[in-house]
Amino acid sequence: MTFKPFEIEARPNKLTWMTLSWLLFAVGIGLYLQESIKRHRENPDDRVIPTVTQLAQGVQNAFLNPAEEDDDGSAATLKWWQRLPHSMIWKDTAASSRRFLISLALMIPAVLLGLHIAMFPYIGALFMRFVLFFDKIIALSVLPILFIAFGIDELSKVMLMVIGVAPTIILDTCNLAKSVPREQVVKGFTLGAGNAQVAYGIVLKQIMPRIIASIRLNLKPLMLFLFAGEMIASTDGLAYRIAIMRRHMGMDIIIPYVLWVALLLFLVDASLRFLNKRWHPWFKED
Amino acid sequence: MSAQPIAAALPEFPVKAASKPAVEMAALALRFPVGRGQTRTIFENLNLTIYHGEFVCILGETGCGKSTLLRMVLGEDRPTEGALSIFGQPVNGINRACGYVPQKYSLFPDRTVMQNLAFGPECTLGPFKRWTHRGRSFRGEVRTEALARLKQMGLQATDAAKYPHQLSGGMQQRVAIAQALMMKPAILLMDEAFSALDPNTRAGMQSLVHELWRETRTTIIFVTHNTHEAAYLASRLIVLAQRRNETGAPVGAEVMLDQIVPFAEETLAARRRRPEVADLVQRIERHSHGAFSAAEEPEAESR
Repeated sequence: MTFKPFEIEARPNKLTWMTLSWLLFAVGIGLYLQESIKRHRENPDDRVIPTVTQLAQGVQNAFLNPAEEDDDGSAATLKWWQRLPHSMIWKDTAASSRRFLISLALMIPAVLLGLHIAMFPYIGALFMRFVLFFDKIIALSVLPILFIAFGIDELSKVMLMVIGVAPTIILDTCNLAKSVPREQVVKGFTLGAGNAQVAYGIVLKQIMPRIIASIRLNLKPLMLFLFAGEMIASTDGLAYRIAIMRRHMGMDIIIPYVLWVALLLFLVDASLRFLNKRWHPWFKED
Repeated sequence: MSAQPIAAALPEFPVKAASKPAVEMAALALRFPVGRGQTRTIFENLNLTIYHGEFVCILGETGCGKSTLLRMVLGEDRPTEGALSIFGQPVNGINRACGYVPQKYSLFPDRTVMQNLAFGPECTLGPFKRWTHRGRSFRGEVRTEALARLKQMGLQATDAAKYPHQLSGGMQQRVAIAQALMMKPAILLMDEAFSALDPNTRAGMQSLVHELWRETRTTIIFVTHNTHEAAYLASRLIVLAQRRNETGAPVGAEVMLDQIVPFAEETLAARRRRPEVADLVQRIERHSHGAFSAAEEPEAESR
């Protein structure tokens, strides 16, 4: 087999494929370790690039030690699985997940609004221009307004995520609903379906896999707005912890947290992809 | 021996039929705004009556308004002027007396064949009666009828569990016809329903629809651009052509030929053997100003 990186018709074998796909990870880890060893040789107290041992200690602290504000001193006597629910990462994950899931749930009304805008001309006339205008507003620019209007509690952070992502989901759903061939709608009516049956039973069902794909694409912006809210005004959450650790140069905690957030996002994305395939076996991506 | 010309023997426009009118169009006009205060005229003062039990094939050059005419009967496009009625009732919104088989997107892709067939009857049940005893019993009956329809269309019971993307184009159109027939429509509207099919499948589908019409006498309005297909199937042929003014702008389609086919009752096989079909095809072409030529006769049809 010859190596032809710029050949469009090239067919790399499985081993080459696997090797290439992991190569950059290996290079990245290698460079990190090399730099970490070099810096620690020069300064054993370096906190910028922690060693593997320091990272492992950071992970252990994050997973097994309670957050400082909850530390009553009794945690050390408990088994690891008893300590885990009191741990820093557990509590931060729970707080961020709660906000994330509330925002995700609020995407359901956004989807329904998008569907109604596309299907019902009067509703479209009422909402479309307003949503288009709202879509152009930079969500982070209204953050001070949200803090003034809703306080610095949960509501403002959830609203930030909703304002940031909901217009995209509404417009995307609207476009998807409009892309359903007119023949399908007409056919539905000739078969005796009512307005609701056509909107929900025909159009929504057909676009549902694409809506889920759209939500998957918007998971990262959703997380971005969550992090922005938590970093600015919060007392718990994954982003709050990263912001706190930044002040203490706690890279041994920040790096595991960043990887943990990436893993969580990957799991949410994979779950949605799995459910999409499971719920819509008929769906074939174009 | 050359085919005997039949033009003299065929009844000329206007058509008179004994049965009651199914679709009546009186002084119908349809214009679309095309921007800058301009309008495009599709129909102007169109008068046409389609009678109950007819198999009407509508032909015409591309863009002359065949499919638009069908959409008006369907209630999707509303005439700008004039009166359009179905069985004496004015058309107001999508007409539920019509079954509709389009060329593409004829089945719901998210439903299996059985679910596609059951969709219409289950719509009549309403969302809350679905799970009642009566609802379950009704759904059982629908299932039995759907399986019978599948068999009528030459499909297997095992196809019922398949999704549309697992079927061939011909099978999908068979299911689409079965789906429309589940609602026992008074009028079946078919918009170039076979144009995407290969010649052999198309020939099979033509036989199927013609037999269906002979058995049930459902009024069928069939839009096609294939002159042979129209000559084989129709009990009445209507050729539309777009009139144009001196600048070449369309000023509305008109009926160029309205022709009853006297041997419509015969089986498709017998019709295909008739020499008059060739004359019919020639006549269609002549009346359409040669703007569209006869589509190539499929191999399966010529045998």
